[in-house]
Amino acid sequence: MPLSQPQTKRAEGVPVTSCWNCKGAVSGTHFCGACGKIQPLPPGMDYFAFFGLPRKLAIEPASLEGQFHMLSWKLHPDNFVRGTEFEKNLSLQRSSELNDAYRTLRDPLARVEYLLEFLNVRKEGTTKQQAPPELLEEVFELNESLDELREARAAGGDVALLRGRLDAAAGNFQAKLTEVDTEIAALGSQWDAAIDFSADEAKRTALLARMSEVLNRRSYIRNLVDGVQQEIAAA
Amino acid sequence: MGRVVGIDLGTTYSLIAYMDEQTGSPKTIPGPYGSALCPSVVSVDAKGKVIVGEDARDRLLTEPEWTIYSVKRLMGRGVADIQDELKIFPFRIDAKSDNVIRVVLGEKSFTAPEVSAYILRELKLWAEAYFKEPVDRAVITVPAYFNDAQRQATKDAGRLAGLEVLRLVNEPTAAALAYGLHKQKRGHVAVYDFGGGTFDISVLKLISTTEGDLYQVLATNGDTHLGGDDIDNALMDLARGEIKARYGVELDHRGEDVQTLRKILIRAKHELSSAEKTLIEYPLGAKGMYVREIARAEFEKLIAPIVARTMSPAKLALADAKLAPKQVDEVVLVGGSTRIPLVRKTVGDYFERVPHSELDPDEVVALGAAVQADILESGVKTMLLLDVTPLSLGIETMGGVIAKIIPRNSTIPASAQEMFTTGVDNQTAIDVHILQGERELVKDCRSLARFQLRTPPGPAGLARIEVKFLIDANGILQVAAKDLRTNQQHTVEVQPSYGLSDAEIERMLEESIDFAEQDFAERQVIEARTEADSILLATDKALKNAGENVVLADERAAIEKSQAELRSAMAGSDYKLMREKIDALNAATEHLAEILMNGALQTALEGKSLDEF
Repeated sequence: MPLSQPQTKRAEGVPVTSCWNCKGAVSGTHFCGACGKIQPLPPGMDYFAFFGLPRKLAIEPASLEGQFHMLSWKLHPDNFVRGTEFEKNLSLQRSSELNDAYRTLRDPLARVEYLLEFLNVRKEGTTKQQAPPELLEEVFELNESLDELREARAAGGDVALLRGRLDAAAGNFQAKLTEVDTEIAALGSQWDAAIDFSADEAKRTALLARMSEVLNRRSYIRNLVDGVQQEIAAA
Repeated sequence: MGRVVGIDLGTTYSLIAYMDEQTGSPKTIPGPYGSALCPSVVSVDAKGKVIVGEDARDRLLTEPEWTIYSVKRLMGRGVADIQDELKIFPFRIDAKSDNVIRVVLGEKSFTAPEVSAYILRELKLWAEAYFKEPVDRAVITVPAYFNDAQRQATKDAGRLAGLEVLRLVNEPTAAALAYGLHKQKRGHVAVYDFGGGTFDISVLKLISTTEGDLYQVLATNGDTHLGGDDIDNALMDLARGEIKARYGVELDHRGEDVQTLRKILIRAKHELSSAEKTLIEYPLGAKGMYVREIARAEFEKLIAPIVARTMSPAKLALADAKLAPKQVDEVVLVGGSTRIPLVRKTVGDYFERVPHSELDPDEVVALGAAVQADILESGVKTMLLLDVTPLSLGIETMGGVIAKIIPRNSTIPASAQEMFTTGVDNQTAIDVHILQGERELVKDCRSLARFQLRTPPGPAGLARIEVKFLIDANGILQVAAKDLRTNQQHTVEVQPSYGLSDAEIERMLEESIDFAEQDFAERQVIEARTEADSILLATDKALKNAGENVVLADERAAIEKSQAELRSAMAGSDYKLMREKIDALNAATEHLAEILMNGALQTALEGKSLDEF
């Protein structure tokens, strides 16, 4: 997905600011077109726009990396050792934003989470920690096994059998994690299609809500698997 | 503005290097003894004079109480951190140390940055003597796995030495820079850096772009307390144990005897890198001589656990870089400890390839630092380093749990924004505690700093203060806070948990900077006088030997006038004036020198037959 791709999807409503140096008009870019000076983060610029990308979830890693390298050359503090304090500080801010944006977008999962957070669908740290209904029975069994394991460990009993059972359960949940990841990827494609075909607001909102739900399920299962693995390691 | 240099501030040795414009390649600068390796040892004499390097190392044997080595181990650390090291290293810690460790040297006590500043100042003097002009800016290298406090302490040391620290560069990254420049290789490179006191592993991607070469660090890991020192200590344990068992002699680990033994054992260690066996001989006075043959196989068995400890960071770094050992195209060895055959074998076996060691493993870090210094100085950028932060940054949340806000191996500069608010009505201060580390609980991580956000009283949850945490290109944390209700920037007074405050640095600077300038001037005066002496002597001799027909009267008069002027300049202490007069005398004697050189040649040629040539 090269930079040259038409950016009609994000051009809407990019505010025009004036360059701090030459007062020329700057519209959502990292450098002033007239005097070439580095600019503060354009208002409303999200991580996608930072790389000149539409808010779509399919991103080709090699081209993202290429963009990252190209922007690194331009924004890195090494370029501004001879600049003014103001420019040095701008470069520090801007290159940190670049690195934050790249770190987020290169990870497919972090990318979805960012999109949801950015569109106010999901707030960090407010993920629901309730068991998804379809998993209730299995979670119940798992917790029972965990309790037994802890008791057996405390009593100095045989933990080998229980550990085997837990291993199997953890493997089972691990497989569910893979399923969830496939589901997230599928939803991502639908989201991208919705952007491409300018789907209506209601359709988009529904998709976002569905993604958020699946992410919650994922984080629930993830915590479960981590917890089981910790218990197994301790046993 | 003076010169810029690259400095490798090492645990055992420190080096200074610069970019040679003629050759376009970096070079180390030798000290007065001809070696570029400056032992990182500092000693104080009875008059309070500070001695650094080779001479200080000699005093380890004669004046151990007044001498300190491996001070890098104390950088950015608290008293509680170093209890284990105190059992092995003869540091004398001042009982008055609070959050910053002070070591006692004779009658005074110093912080680790102050001791390191003496080493930096010595290197600076080496470079100034070499360039004959001041050196005031430097790139200094640090172990990649150094935390914020250790980096800050290194930067403080630079400031105290009168150097503007242009950048702190990670040691393995600097090595990769020197290596990449040398080999012009591209692809995935692992740098295995096993030095005197620290171990680092960094995995980089070297890419050629249209703009120039890019060195992107993908992941780094390490152990800031694992190095050649540990190998020395293993040998010490063996020898001290045997000496006690056989001769009933217990060596005090702070005394001079133990320093002599350490020196002998280090020599044995070095010998075992090339020889299959070596002999340790240590005199025990009246009790005779401890004689012990040690074969390489036994040595390897002894140090195998230490070498093995380097492999777990190596595996973690590769996992974070999402690479299998085989996918690494080149492995570069850095640090003196990589001369040990077992280390080479272990690394080679793991990566399934022969590691590189063409560049001197002692010098390569300083050379890379010089390259980066040149990039920053010249503004001509043909290379760009993208380094990472080695440890995750987090803040304390409820119940002593850490919320990670910047994950480890994030490319720097990196930042994170967090919103803070009040929990109870009329709360006027919010405490923020910043930590670094990979564990979940506050108690298992490294406390970096604490600060308070102030807010006017009001109902709980009304305050909205946004705090921006930013790790700069040096890997050092900066904090800024903004009150979103008033849109006002907050000043954040960060109290470092294990470091010097700005006020303390300022005070030390006041004492030291004057010193540094004075040092430079003094040395310049001495050098100019020495040079003037020798040229005056040579001129006197030449004038005496040269007959009337060789030197005309007015030429002679001009030379004598220049001589007189130089002599009177030498009476003062203005080295610039002395240099000026030396140049003037040189100009005045140019013709004389030419004649003499031709004459000398003729004398040499006379009396020899043609076939002798």
